[in-house]
Amino acid sequence: MSSAVSRARMVRLRDGLSALAFLAPFLVFYLLFLVYPFGLGIWISFHDWELVGSFREWIGLWNYEDMFADPQFWRAVRNTLTFAAMTVPVMVGLALLLALGLNRQTRIHGALRAIFFTSNVLSVTVVTLIWIMVLSPDRGLIAQLFRSLGLEPIAFLASTTWAMPAIVATTVWWGIGFPMILFLAGLQQIPGELYEAARLDNASPWRRFTRITLPALRRTFVLVAILQVIGQLQIFGQVLIMTGGGPSQSTRSLVQTIYETGFADWQLGYASAMSLFLFVVMFVASMAQLYIARQED
Amino acid sequence: MKTSLLAISALAVMVSPIAVSHAAEELTFLRFFGGCSDQYANVTDMDQAVGECGVIQVLTNKFNAENDQDITINTQNVEWGVYYDLLSTQIASGQQPAIAVMHRSVLPNFVARDLIEPLDDIFVEAGIDTSDFLPAALESVSYDGQIWGLPWDIHALLYHVNGAIMEEAGLTDAEGNYILPTSTEELFEHARIVQERTGKRYLSIGSRNDAMTARVFNLLMWQQGSGIFNEDLSGVQIDSEEGRVALEFMKRLYDEGVALPIHDGSEATQAFINGEAAVFVSGTWQVDTMAAHSASESSPLANYQVFDFPQVVGDTRATWSDSHMWVLPAKERSPEEMAATVAFLSFLNDNSGQWARTGHLPVRQSVLESEAFAALPYRTSYAETTGIAQAVPMVQNQRPIQDIIRDGLSAVWLGDTAVDAALSDVQSQVERNFRRVR
Amino acid sequence: MEKRAIRPFSGDTVTLVLMIALAAMWILPTIWVISLSLRPNMDLMRSTAGLLPIPFTLQNYIDIVSVSMTPRWLLNSAIVAIGTTVITLIVASLAGYAFARIAFPFKRTLFVFILCGLMIPEQTIIIPLHAMITDWGMHNTHAALIAPRVAMPVGVFLMTQFFRAIPLELEEAARLDNASRLTVFRRIMLPLSIPALTTLGIYTFLQAWNDFFWPLVSATNSNMYTVTVGLSSLQGNFAQTEGLGFIMASAVFASLPVVIVYVIFQKYIVRGIAMTTGK
Repeated sequence: MSSAVSRARMVRLRDGLSALAFLAPFLVFYLLFLVYPFGLGIWISFHDWELVGSFREWIGLWNYEDMFADPQFWRAVRNTLTFAAMTVPVMVGLALLLALGLNRQTRIHGALRAIFFTSNVLSVTVVTLIWIMVLSPDRGLIAQLFRSLGLEPIAFLASTTWAMPAIVATTVWWGIGFPMILFLAGLQQIPGELYEAARLDNASPWRRFTRITLPALRRTFVLVAILQVIGQLQIFGQVLIMTGGGPSQSTRSLVQTIYETGFADWQLGYASAMSLFLFVVMFVASMAQLYIARQED
Repeated sequence: MKTSLLAISALAVMVSPIAVSHAAEELTFLRFFGGCSDQYANVTDMDQAVGECGVIQVLTNKFNAENDQDITINTQNVEWGVYYDLLSTQIASGQQPAIAVMHRSVLPNFVARDLIEPLDDIFVEAGIDTSDFLPAALESVSYDGQIWGLPWDIHALLYHVNGAIMEEAGLTDAEGNYILPTSTEELFEHARIVQERTGKRYLSIGSRNDAMTARVFNLLMWQQGSGIFNEDLSGVQIDSEEGRVALEFMKRLYDEGVALPIHDGSEATQAFINGEAAVFVSGTWQVDTMAAHSASESSPLANYQVFDFPQVVGDTRATWSDSHMWVLPAKERSPEEMAATVAFLSFLNDNSGQWARTGHLPVRQSVLESEAFAALPYRTSYAETTGIAQAVPMVQNQRPIQDIIRDGLSAVWLGDTAVDAALSDVQSQVERNFRRVR
Repeated sequence: MEKRAIRPFSGDTVTLVLMIALAAMWILPTIWVISLSLRPNMDLMRSTAGLLPIPFTLQNYIDIVSVSMTPRWLLNSAIVAIGTTVITLIVASLAGYAFARIAFPFKRTLFVFILCGLMIPEQTIIIPLHAMITDWGMHNTHAALIAPRVAMPVGVFLMTQFFRAIPLELEEAARLDNASRLTVFRRIMLPLSIPALTTLGIYTFLQAWNDFFWPLVSATNSNMYTVTVGLSSLQGNFAQTEGLGFIMASAVFASLPVVIVYVIFQKYIVRGIAMTTGK
């Protein structure tokens, strides 16, 4: 009896130790390079903490007070939300259309899917290089089209009206592959029998789409939308490289403001406070995702 | 066991001082001014160098080829717009370059945090004669009673002119020189005449994402006897009558089609080179380059001329200026590295006359008085600039402040912000920035 | 095939033609840029019109290999991306196995604690991470570019899910033979998880290769740039007309490794996307 108990204890101890051994390598990285920096970020945000030199002063909540009173910060928040509000619907809608149109297992459909997905593996610098050229008013692809139609080319990235839509177009071109694949995966999970039955009822394609496809895709739809919101709220590289936040701040994003506050103005404390604001926004979005996913199950 | 023994002996071999006998020094040289190391690969003949990039690159080549102490200067060229971001992150990460270029306007930020070395003693040891520096040059590298940089130039805004267009418009004197406007109304009158008689735009100026916006605003404030800061630097006076006059003037340039609002710096430069505009508002750094463009037979930039910045508002003579200097970022240096660094500094100082060829104002009395300098073209037509050049006061955070001015004001012509709204927006943002100055 | 045809909007010719037209539009910028990279710089100063590389030259690519920093940057990217991938695969599969198969105290709590890491986007910890690596004097090293990416928990999450789906019987036989956990893991679980590891590997590789913000602030010495950051440093010359073909060639050249990886492993990438999002 007692030997059985001690044996069970031995097993538990051995399992505990081996679990520790298996987990340790990852935990070291996780604690050192994710958990610790996250905590450090909170600590830094209560300081006037500079990038260079050794100046570090505890200032409590002053960075946060300053942030909420900072029109530049709110402008960046507004720009970021505008960008997400423009990008996400286009991305979701177009991805759904592409997935519907390309949901067949033929060679040509495969090739077309590959075309839409390939731009997704390019880095932000390559994508922006391509699009700066495409959008250039002097030498761009679109300018050539305009001229051949007898129109005056638009300097998209130089215009407070057009710069944001141009960055949206670039982002959609870059990122469409990912939501498209998600929708395709969702479509392929819809049982063919459902359509079979609908056809027997003589339902029109449009009816089949609204009655079968769309309801079945609801969960994918929510997932794609939320992933997109989280992703697009973090926009950085495109604005930094394509417009530098201009013209006259009309495209400056939140992450870019964090970058410039920290690395150009040296104010790591203030930049950390902004980072935490961004984290809270993301966290709320993630929680919404979990909440909605729960509701669906 | 065996493998670890092997590893230890390998390590011992690696750290043992085998290659110390050779005292070659390699120094990182961080700068902007453009990248042209391919174009001037192995060129050491100063006569072949054109423009800022050419002169500094060939000087570097020359030093690398001719110094007898086995010193190699490794240039890292960084685009002007991100230069200070990169210098800051390099300093933060302990990867300081040996020598770096710096503007007078950002010097206070670096000095206040002990990020660069004071040079007084080093100059004495190296025999660099500070009494040969022109007063304005010495002032530009001095802060808190010490010297922090080797002065390299004073640069200022000039009026670059396409003489051929002006002649066609009938705005030249008997020798074919452009007769400058002396007031706001005259300037707009000239613009109208140029437009009517030649079909060209009067002005080419960087107007989007370009520091030129802030420079010109400063200049217009100074021409009215004002400035963006008050006398004792305790307050900001952007949202003022002078500020309104300055911004209204700039707005009118774009409203009346005198200049193009969407041009960034390089587009404005290109437009002037292409002969699309009669006047180019830019700095001394463009003189040599524009002269070279103009020299080519078929260039639309014909009969290039350059002048002191005219009186376009108010009644105080003034133009905007800043200066370049070489600084030594603070870090541990071995005596050998320090000696090599000082050797390169001395070489640069000995050759600062070459830099003046680009169009910049010289920093040394001996250069100013030299025959070589007197022989440089165009110098007499902007001789007054030295006397009227004003620089932003040496207060901290000039860089973010100038960026705020640039972005806030250009919203007037790039967006639909009203003049008064832009001024009060910029005023409050600069005041906010002041809060953080220590 | 028959079944697919009854799904709305995917079978008919009109849709196919529309899709082909859209795809042509989609790929046009890429083709144009590749074509620009194959034309002489002098020619591009006159005109950038046309989709065909006429006149044709390979000079831009020769310049990249012979004089530019791009090969060096590619090497850095390769070291960082491969290093990140290998280390991630090792630590994530080990941790995933522990969560899936070993009973230990506070397992659920620990798992949730690690899942919380999924909610911390890279962008929000860059500032403190930079301050931390500064204090450690580790900037401008490959290790500093690799370690923060290994800390991202998505791999652990994936591998846990995958190991959970493997039938218990397979390892129970081995456990009865008194084989150690590590032996079971190496001999039985790892060979079974090659598809999952491939998927995770490709995903990690692409993410690491295309990372921008962190290398931008950590690798400040041009010898240590990854190709993504290096390309953005060429932007300064971009406004000028000269060297346009060269810059475009650099972009094409820099993208070759990821495009090749994509073409070879396309299947796994698509599966990976479905996996990472919990499908």
